[in-house]
Amino acid sequence: MSAPAQALVDAIGKTGLNYSFVLAPDELASFLHGMLVTLELSLVTALGSLAAGVVLAAMLTSPRAALARPARVFVEVTRNTPTLVQLFCAFLVVNMLISEALRNLGGNPLTPFIWSAIVISLHKAAFHAEALRAGIEAVPRATLEAAQSLGYSRRQRLWEVQLPLALRFALPTLVNNMVDLVKMTTVASAIAVGDITYASIMIWTQRDNVLELMILILLFFGALTFAVNRAGQWLEIRLRMPGYGH
Amino acid sequence: MLSRPTRTTLAHTLRTLALFAAFSAGAAHADATLDRIHQRHKIVIGVILSGPPFGSLDPATQKPVGFNVDLANDVAKRLGVDVELTAVQPSNRVQFLQQGKVDALIANMEVTKERAEILSYPPTPFEEIGGALITRKDSGIKTWNDVRGKPVCVSQGSNYTKPLAEQYGAQVKAFRGQPESLLALRGNNCVAAVHVAPTLRLLVARNPDWKDYTIPVSNDLIPSPAVIWVRKGETDTQAALEKIVQDWHRSGWLIGTERRNSMQPSQAVLDLHAKYKAPGA
Repeated sequence: MSAPAQALVDAIGKTGLNYSFVLAPDELASFLHGMLVTLELSLVTALGSLAAGVVLAAMLTSPRAALARPARVFVEVTRNTPTLVQLFCAFLVVNMLISEALRNLGGNPLTPFIWSAIVISLHKAAFHAEALRAGIEAVPRATLEAAQSLGYSRRQRLWEVQLPLALRFALPTLVNNMVDLVKMTTVASAIAVGDITYASIMIWTQRDNVLELMILILLFFGALTFAVNRAGQWLEIRLRMPGYGH
Repeated sequence: MLSRPTRTTLAHTLRTLALFAAFSAGAAHADATLDRIHQRHKIVIGVILSGPPFGSLDPATQKPVGFNVDLANDVAKRLGVDVELTAVQPSNRVQFLQQGKVDALIANMEVTKERAEILSYPPTPFEEIGGALITRKDSGIKTWNDVRGKPVCVSQGSNYTKPLAEQYGAQVKAFRGQPESLLALRGNNCVAAVHVAPTLRLLVARNPDWKDYTIPVSNDLIPSPAVIWVRKGETDTQAALEKIVQDWHRSGWLIGTERRNSMQPSQAVLDLHAKYKAPGA
């Protein structure tokens, strides 16, 4: 490893913090890879949860009970149980059953990463759906009647009137959910997804530098959620419509 | 803003406090733990309850049972105090000990160079324990070398991670604990799982759920002395525990306890029994 890195580690070492793991190429690589995995997981679940959230919100506000009922049950069950329990249930129970079933058909293609992405996306989708539902229900009746008189079908009204307005209304809550989602990705470490938390656990159980790695994890998530926040603010300003909500 | 006299007083108070802290730290240096154990008439021991034979919850009574629990109870009995058991995980046990949440660890934790640098232990081990590899009968794994490049499940904090990755080139996946790791093996997320040998032997021998699985390699991975861990430099506690462990060997109590928990005493334990039983030892 390069001399400047060594010098930096030594300098920080004087304060009592031992960051010598960055000088071990293997451990540095696994830590950096962990950061990348956290970013990937955050991105995948952000998109996945939004897509599922929109679908759920549309179902929740549907006048058809056959759509609204199951969506309501799903939202309640998902919101009211801990993510970690859902993850263990999905990965350790459902995944095992799938593996047993597919044993003779070439094996189970679902990895811990995919399971984490599914569980976190669906969990957050329930929260997104409720935020969007609030937005959809806040669209004034007069606006909907105007759209109807212009010949908009129910689907058109949802896509072109209700959802664009609902999105603006729900944006602060959605951003809030997104910040929470980024932090929630750490649960994936419990089923050996190599995110930043997992990489850190693997390093500190060998080196016992818990404090040093905790500081890095906090800084990393602090930066990440700050970025999410800024992106949310930018969107809020960009989507602002004169005369609606502001 | 503080006025000047207030600031001086504040600085003075801080200095006095710092001095006081330094002194009390010095006074506490002479192994406070053993004194505290006797004072409050209780020892807190961290045990791992990840499955038989080491430790598990009795399904009927919800009380912890197993080898670790028997050892912990006997430590307390011989010290003449009550015992409080705290369940720990491989990933957090060192922190529990270092932060004083437990006084000692009997937690499937073998001696490694890294651990010996940050913690102390009574030098006589109570067992020698290595890792065994469990895999499906049709996986084709016959030796430790067969895991190269393949996913292998362990628990987070396991000391088998390093030899598996570095010596045998396995792609190690560490789960929160042993139950999760074993379920992941059953879910086909790894081709094999590596955990303490006695647990896996018992699993394959006794549990019909595991009839499709086997322990194909007879030699254990890094067999290492299992010891009781205490905080670094607590020599009094260490000495008191050392006496207890030697007594376990001398009296044959340890061998009996292992058999009661369906464990096979290792050669190391039989040798230690012979050594301490011998007259003049």
